[in-house]
Amino acid sequence: MRFRIREWLRRLYCTITRQYNDSDEELRFHLAMAEEEAGRRGESQRDARIRVGGIAQSAEAVYDQRSIAWLADLLRDSRHGLRLLRKNPQFSIAAILCLALGIGGVAAIFSVFDAVLVRPLPYADPDRLVMIWDHMSNTDVMTKHNPAPPEWIEWRRLNTVFTDIADTQTSGPTLSGDGEPEQVSARKTTWNFWSVLGVRPLLGRVFTQEEDEGNARVVVLSYGLWHRRYGGSPGILGRKILLNDEPYEVIGVMPPAFYFLPSRDVALWTPVSFPPWMRRNFTWHDGHIVARLKLGVTLEQARTAMTALSLQVTAKDFRGPHGVEVYPLREELAGKMGTALVVLLCAASALLLIACLNLANLLLSRGAARGPEVAVRLALGAGRRRLIAQFLAESLVLAGLGAIAGLTLALPAMRLLEALIPDAMGEVRLSLDWRVLAVAAGAALGSAIVFGLAPALRGSRVSPRNGLREAGRGSAGARGHWFQHSLIVLETALAVMLLTCGGLLLQTFEHLRNTDLGLHSERLLTFETPLFRHTDFDRRVAFLNEEVERVRAIPGVISAGSINVVPFTNQASATFYKLEGQSAVVPGQVALIRNISRDYFPTIGAHLQEGRNFTSADQKSDAPVAIVNQVFADRHFAGRSPLGRKFKFGNLGEKGYWYTIVGVVKPIRESGVLNEARPAVYRVHEQCDQIGDSAAGIIVRTAGAPESIVSAVREAIWSLDRNQPIARVRTLDQIIDGQLSTSSQSTALLGAFALLALLLASIGIYGVLSYAVSQRTREIGVRIALGATAGEIMRSFGKRGLGLTLAGLAAGWGLAAAAARLLSALLYGFQPSYGRIAVAVSVLLLAVAALACFVPAHRASRIDPVMALRNE
Amino acid sequence: MSNEAARSAVLQGTLDLMVLQTLATIGPQHGYAIAARIEQVSSGAIQLNMGTLYPGLLRLEQRGFVRAQWDRTETNRRARFYTITAAGRRQLVAEKSEWTRMAAIMQAMLEGDAS
Repeated sequence: MRFRIREWLRRLYCTITRQYNDSDEELRFHLAMAEEEAGRRGESQRDARIRVGGIAQSAEAVYDQRSIAWLADLLRDSRHGLRLLRKNPQFSIAAILCLALGIGGVAAIFSVFDAVLVRPLPYADPDRLVMIWDHMSNTDVMTKHNPAPPEWIEWRRLNTVFTDIADTQTSGPTLSGDGEPEQVSARKTTWNFWSVLGVRPLLGRVFTQEEDEGNARVVVLSYGLWHRRYGGSPGILGRKILLNDEPYEVIGVMPPAFYFLPSRDVALWTPVSFPPWMRRNFTWHDGHIVARLKLGVTLEQARTAMTALSLQVTAKDFRGPHGVEVYPLREELAGKMGTALVVLLCAASALLLIACLNLANLLLSRGAARGPEVAVRLALGAGRRRLIAQFLAESLVLAGLGAIAGLTLALPAMRLLEALIPDAMGEVRLSLDWRVLAVAAGAALGSAIVFGLAPALRGSRVSPRNGLREAGRGSAGARGHWFQHSLIVLETALAVMLLTCGGLLLQTFEHLRNTDLGLHSERLLTFETPLFRHTDFDRRVAFLNEEVERVRAIPGVISAGSINVVPFTNQASATFYKLEGQSAVVPGQVALIRNISRDYFPTIGAHLQEGRNFTSADQKSDAPVAIVNQVFADRHFAGRSPLGRKFKFGNLGEKGYWYTIVGVVKPIRESGVLNEARPAVYRVHEQCDQIGDSAAGIIVRTAGAPESIVSAVREAIWSLDRNQPIARVRTLDQIIDGQLSTSSQSTALLGAFALLALLLASIGIYGVLSYAVSQRTREIGVRIALGATAGEIMRSFGKRGLGLTLAGLAAGWGLAAAAARLLSALLYGFQPSYGRIAVAVSVLLLAVAALACFVPAHRASRIDPVMALRNE
Repeated sequence: MSNEAARSAVLQGTLDLMVLQTLATIGPQHGYAIAARIEQVSSGAIQLNMGTLYPGLLRLEQRGFVRAQWDRTETNRRARFYTITAAGRRQLVAEKSEWTRMAAIMQAMLEGDAS
């Protein structure tokens, strides 16, 4: 085997370097010896020749053994192709550039697609992992809801479709000691979290059931935190670190590739250690539940079984029974970006197809001009098959060069495209790995066939006689026109499809961007100061107010306020409530609760529609007040004023306060920029001694750039308490941009593809028309000589271009209607106006096409009949 | 099966072995001498034409079993001389024993069949 490989390598080497060492001399020597021998025996020389064989045939056999024949042919044709390309550099550069855009686009988008949707997730057998959510269609806050601990307990006990189910909760403890205190993103997980995912720590171990249930203070660190804060020292195992001032023993470190929802920033994992009250509380909806399907159980079976189980488990729930939603983990991680990437990959492929169709057209036109060359080859005995192979080899050279240029373009693009990886997934460095290279090679090969096959079949179908007779005139029959025209119509249609989709996304993005969020987001700085050290309610409120006072005193600050949850950042913090006059808690009657300072609404620019804002008169009291949003007011008091009405929170029973509504605020999209505003109630901090919150977001309106006061803010907070952690400093606009990023990125990319498609399609129309003009120079000359006016000539060509464009437009609308369905998830429930987009796309396309038609048509009208006829 | 076809079928599998054995026996030789020697040893049963011999020699060279260089014959003509290499000798030993084994098996088979 080894020797055989050696043989083939040498043959390959000879083929590539074209070292066909001549065997003639050796063969002639052999023949001479044989002839002498024959002479000695008295035989004729002819006998000798018959015995040893002819020199030419033998040399051929040696040549076949020395090289690899088919490869040698391919290389020779490729070299021929390269020579042709060099002879016609303008055409070559244009063609390679078109292909580079197409192939580069496909390769670059595929690299992201691969990273997000194809590459295995860093868990054992990841395709069997799913997430389970409560399906709460009857509540107003949201339908896909985080499950509560008792649901996890019951599902785990009773389900038949999962090997195991793990529950996790979000936490954000403050890490202190060994350096500056910082608030980190963390997860509390049940002990079986690790076995459900099938992951192992890089160092040490993960926690056990005994530790979870026994409330053990142990922690597993992420690789990132271990390196960033503890220098990657293996001595970390067994050390105690401070989380919210409590010592936790480090027992393990996860490998760098590990991540889990909700974001790659999660720095550590601690046992969830549900306290007994939480194990029974059906209203504590904060779980992210991950489960592993049993072997052979499908997603559909799991959905059916779990819905039935959940209805049974929640049968006696005071909110009424509800089902569940089960989604593959991959879908949860990829989010909307999954759909966006499918759309973008389709768009990139469409662009490549357009480039190929364009090229096919150019080659067909050129092929006609190459008739004489082909005729000569045929006359000299080249077979049709050999000619087709030669044409295809030329296309392969073009596609290969296009692929190389495309990958050169794709590599820098990948740096930008890394931003498309969803936050929930681990960071990925996109690179030209073998998969991307394979896709690029496949795309190049596919394009070579798409754009090369028709010209090869057509070009090789020349009869030597006609080909030579028509030398230099090169004409394609009516069939040729028909075929080339349909290529143009198809590529125009694809461009229209991309433009329409781009328009849909652009309109959606504009809509999202201009949605009234309920506040003025510009020049607002937000940050959080966790107050876990202040367990006493009064002191906590006093401290918080003091923080806001100090921040307000900073020069350049217009005003400052505080809210427990920074706007747009949290979907939860909602609870059941009961209105005065309602005898029991109504299922599904849920409102977001937010605790604010009295200057919060003025700071963010919220609009009070009715009643009053909180004042300094609203102090701790058992008759507190509340401001509700318009959605809340509309739900219960449509057409009437809610002022003076009372409500209380659902699960506090008799000891719960009655809150009196004193104001109505215009809805703010608290739970996210993309989420419709839901019923919400706002309370002032001083009156939040029931259902309080030690989370403290502070929001500052600045006169100048918000970033400029960050260090002053830190100083101000630390002047109050040197050890107060400050977390998640960012502007509100950054938060908004982050939530719109999928929409803005996919819009920008699809828009870019659409514009390139428009460019290529117009080049295609231009190419076909100007080719037609050059082919029909003589005919036009005759017509002009016979009295046709320039206007008539222009009209006849213009009509043809316009006809192609209109046909493309009509076909494009059909394609776009189909494509829009794929797009619908990216429209976020928005209904774009198709009419406006169709009009805009048509006008744009017609304008560009008119320009592409005008130049060749104008040239045709200026043909000098004398010159045209003399050319014959 | 015609005599010619049978001969070439045998040649396919055994040419390498015959050439290597020849070179190992008579030392470095040019192609014509190799063919002559094989013809002589086989009492004229095997006559190699150039179209079989030279691709075969090239294959052996590509596989590293023989080396070739231009030299002068005793009659002072330029000819390409082939020398068996160390790898070629090892290959010869291996092939030989395989051939002997195969031949023994075939013999046993055929005799057993006859009885």
